[in-house]
Amino acid sequence: MAKGYVVEPDVGFVRELQELGGDTLKKCYQCATCSVVCPISPENKPFPRKEMIWAQWGLKDKLICNPDIWLCHNCNDCSAYCPRGAKPGEVLAAARNYSFQYYAWPKFLGKALANKKSLPWLFAVPAAIFLFLIFLGYGKTGAEPGKIVFSKFLPVLYIDAVFIPTALFAIIAFALGLKRFLTDMNGGTMPPVGAMVKSLKNVLPVILRHDKFKECTENKNRYWGHLGILYGFLGLLIVTGLVFVMMDVFHMEDPFSLINPVKILANLSALALIGGLVVVLYNRWKTRETSGLGTYYDWLFLLVLLGVALTGIFAELMRLAGIGALAYLCYYLHLICVFFLFAYAPFSKFAHLAYRTTAMAYADYIGRELPVEESEVEEKSSEEESSKE
Amino acid sequence: MEKKIGVYICTGCGIGESLDIDKLSEIATGEYNVPLCKTHPFLCGKEGIQVIKDDIEKEGVNAVVIMGCSPRVNYDVFKFPNVVVERGNIREQVVWSHPANDEDTQMMAEDYTRMTIVKTEKCELPEPHKEDISKDILVIGGGISGITAALEAANAGYKVVLVEKEKELGGFAAKCFKQLPTKDPYQELEEPIIATKINEVKANDNVKIYTGATVEKIEGAPGLFDVTIKSNGSSSTEKIGAIVLATGWKPYDASKLEKLGYGSPNVITNVEMEELAAKGKIVRPSDGKEVKSIAFIQCAGQRDEEHLPYCSGVCCLVSLKQAKYLRAQDPDAKAFIFYKDMRTLGLYENFYKTCQDDEGIFLTKGEVVSVNADEGGATVVVEDTLIGEKIEVNVDLVVLATGMVPSTKDEAILNLEYRQGPGLPELELFYGYADSNFICFPYETRRTGIYAAGAVRQPLNIAACMEDATGAALKAIQCVEMTSRGEAVHPRAGDISFADFFMQRCTQCKRCTEECPFGAINEDEQANPLYNPTRCRRCAVCMGACPERIISFKNYSVDMIGSMIKAIEVPDEYEEKPRILVLACENDAYPAIDMAGINRMEYSAYVRVIPLRCLGSTNIIWIADALSKGIDGILLLGCKYGDDYQCHFIKGSELANYRMEKVQETLDRLVLESERVRLLEIAITDYDKIPGIINEFLEKIEELGPNPYKGF
Repeated sequence: MAKGYVVEPDVGFVRELQELGGDTLKKCYQCATCSVVCPISPENKPFPRKEMIWAQWGLKDKLICNPDIWLCHNCNDCSAYCPRGAKPGEVLAAARNYSFQYYAWPKFLGKALANKKSLPWLFAVPAAIFLFLIFLGYGKTGAEPGKIVFSKFLPVLYIDAVFIPTALFAIIAFALGLKRFLTDMNGGTMPPVGAMVKSLKNVLPVILRHDKFKECTENKNRYWGHLGILYGFLGLLIVTGLVFVMMDVFHMEDPFSLINPVKILANLSALALIGGLVVVLYNRWKTRETSGLGTYYDWLFLLVLLGVALTGIFAELMRLAGIGALAYLCYYLHLICVFFLFAYAPFSKFAHLAYRTTAMAYADYIGRELPVEESEVEEKSSEEESSKE
Repeated sequence: MEKKIGVYICTGCGIGESLDIDKLSEIATGEYNVPLCKTHPFLCGKEGIQVIKDDIEKEGVNAVVIMGCSPRVNYDVFKFPNVVVERGNIREQVVWSHPANDEDTQMMAEDYTRMTIVKTEKCELPEPHKEDISKDILVIGGGISGITAALEAANAGYKVVLVEKEKELGGFAAKCFKQLPTKDPYQELEEPIIATKINEVKANDNVKIYTGATVEKIEGAPGLFDVTIKSNGSSSTEKIGAIVLATGWKPYDASKLEKLGYGSPNVITNVEMEELAAKGKIVRPSDGKEVKSIAFIQCAGQRDEEHLPYCSGVCCLVSLKQAKYLRAQDPDAKAFIFYKDMRTLGLYENFYKTCQDDEGIFLTKGEVVSVNADEGGATVVVEDTLIGEKIEVNVDLVVLATGMVPSTKDEAILNLEYRQGPGLPELELFYGYADSNFICFPYETRRTGIYAAGAVRQPLNIAACMEDATGAALKAIQCVEMTSRGEAVHPRAGDISFADFFMQRCTQCKRCTEECPFGAINEDEQANPLYNPTRCRRCAVCMGACPERIISFKNYSVDMIGSMIKAIEVPDEYEEKPRILVLACENDAYPAIDMAGINRMEYSAYVRVIPLRCLGSTNIIWIADALSKGIDGILLLGCKYGDDYQCHFIKGSELANYRMEKVQETLDRLVLESERVRLLEIAITDYDKIPGIINEFLEKIEELGPNPYKGF
């Protein structure tokens, strides 16, 4: 008798997914409406129908090392049309949240980011570090009275001393996590790096153009929201890099003029980021009935991003207004938020940037077909016809 | 009875404006010498009725002909005690469906006037058949359905005899550990209600209980049943009015399910699982180890041509319930359910949802390939799963969700001393279940006064059985009450006419005793029919069957309809006015024709419609009479027959169709085309097709040319 895949449901895993935002997962009765309405699901073995039963049965091995949970862009068309209120979009989001923990190194940070109770500690660490540095540097930098200069408040060197190791740590943590993720997806071995790089080149334009978001119907305006967030964030990342070079290499003095191109880029990016966040947060709230309010991971990430943008903007405004105490306070809070964002990136929803990109590249590598645009179908069929003629 | 007929023509509802009423009156008073003929513009109104009442009182009118609306309306208005009332339908079927002040429309109304007067002349006042009857109710089966039926009848004030074959009351309901939800929101399991019900029925003074007992035989008819009950070696007899059959079900023989592992250790049926759970802890039968995982295999030996071809309707719910037992015992336990389709009818969807929400219950559609069980547990391999591949699960216990088999499947149980056999007639539609027609008539069987309830009728859960039993008890009460008044039960409820057999001319051909859909007619040793009036439903199928035409009712007879046909005036062939006779079943076809009129749909004025109690009461002689009179075509409109029949008398329209062979002989004898007689099935909702059916048939008849017998 031919044997089958030996099923050993993990009841604990089911409960964990439910806690991570997939509380509705058991309601699915496998009608596959979700897979039919999903605008970005492939024709062959479409998601999220199959992921729903894997989740219900607690089949962790199938669910977590499956690139499809990352091909989902959380449009939530599926949740809006689900006749049972099973919210497949939220269940897939929960599975992704579980992945952040599952592939995390070190493990304890993965757990800490999943747990609401750890939140004060996670903020307390950067708060303490920066408070300590402010004490350390206080009075030694020779700030001119009446003039607000952040680098006199906290020397650039100190900041570099914190963020350079932090960035390195995040990069290492990401690398380890992604390696395990790729190995799992590929059935135990790493896929060849060359091919993966080639696939990455194929998918990067798709990501940058936000093609997938454009296909969503239920949450259309999320396209603009996510676009604003991504480009705002990238702009600020570039600004940070430029400032690092300007101050550390060329020893230019801050603050920069408002018409300095770097400053213009910084302000525009911050505005794009805030605008995008407002759109996304409003959208989340508006569709809470049909698509669900979102998970803890979502809100934490979005609010920290908002924190970064708002504290940055306020620090600048307070500086321009000449209110020293508030300017420095905002700057201090800004540093905490930035630290939170980067240091915990591999374990928070921030990590989706890396995981989804990797999964999309892997899907490209294995030739996982994506839905063909109708116009393309027409073109193809007309081509075929003309070739017949 | 010496008749004095009064004809009353209503001119309301457009009749007066469309017809020459004086001509109609002339027919009554001239052609038929009716002593009294009056017209009234609003006959069903207070004044109109008073006119008729006055004539009855002062003029001695004792037979009333109402020419006006359809007999299907105002029947409660045109009702006078001890007076024959006949209705001529010149509203729906004449003026509402044909052009006004037209020669053909007028001829139609005139014919209906003739036909109704002739019918009235032939009609006698029926008197009810009354006997000293018992109103006691026998309930066979002491499970949840039987006990409920007994209690319902007893609480309504009737004496009940309850017969249970086992030593204790309760049936399968008493074997349940927990019961499916019976009330809103249908989410949580309940403690079984059966224990309370057993105590209640035992304490009820109106209920006489026989346990360890069976029904040895049932003789007689509703109100007059002599039931012999065998109990503990001795027999006793009870006089019974009506019977509720609630003998329930038995589990399908699991020994035929070796393929699914039955017979190996740790493979049990859902019935055995219920017993296991009721004992306390769910443990492995092989070694007594506490069970941590169960695989439930749905449709075990069901929806399968080799076993039970049908769905038992409750097994999905039972498996969900039993999965809940396991989950309540151990929060880490796993229950797998492999199904073909999850069927949780009605509000039980809520219970299904609740079970789905349980993280330890794993559901998938799939085909079970193999079950390998031993002392250490079982391995179940399932393919075509929703997981997307063939899967294998290792469990402690396998539960086969086997189905229900009606207790009447192999045993008659009732042991009726009827000419047509000891049990309920098998319709070959319901796999041995004692069901008659699930759409229209729940609880009805083809044995008058015997009502089926619960799982013997169709697979049902406890809540549905209780509802069913309540309904059946009410039907039984209705039956004894109506029988005591000499009235027919459903579907001609309240009809007091009954069949009369003119025995001198009987040839003992047995057609009536064989064809009666309700087995109302027994036979003596010489094969003479022995008619039981209280079993009779008054469909008159026997009247249609009898070649000697010796069966008739006071107000419905072969002669009466024959005379109506003969009263139709057939113009000679040079006038080119063909005549079509429509014999229409009064349950569906006749109202459909009325509805066509109500909707002002026009059809040919060459038709003459006669309503029949059932198309099965059609006697071939009518066809012969009509054709030899020169009527050009005959249309028989009856209910749908076959698997999804809609005949109110179950076999009537089917028998009519069967008799069409004999009609063919008549046509051959007269050297007429076979197309001149056509039988069609029609439902009440087909009213919009009526003009099409009639006009199309007429076209066909016109093609054939006139009936050569015209003028003979």
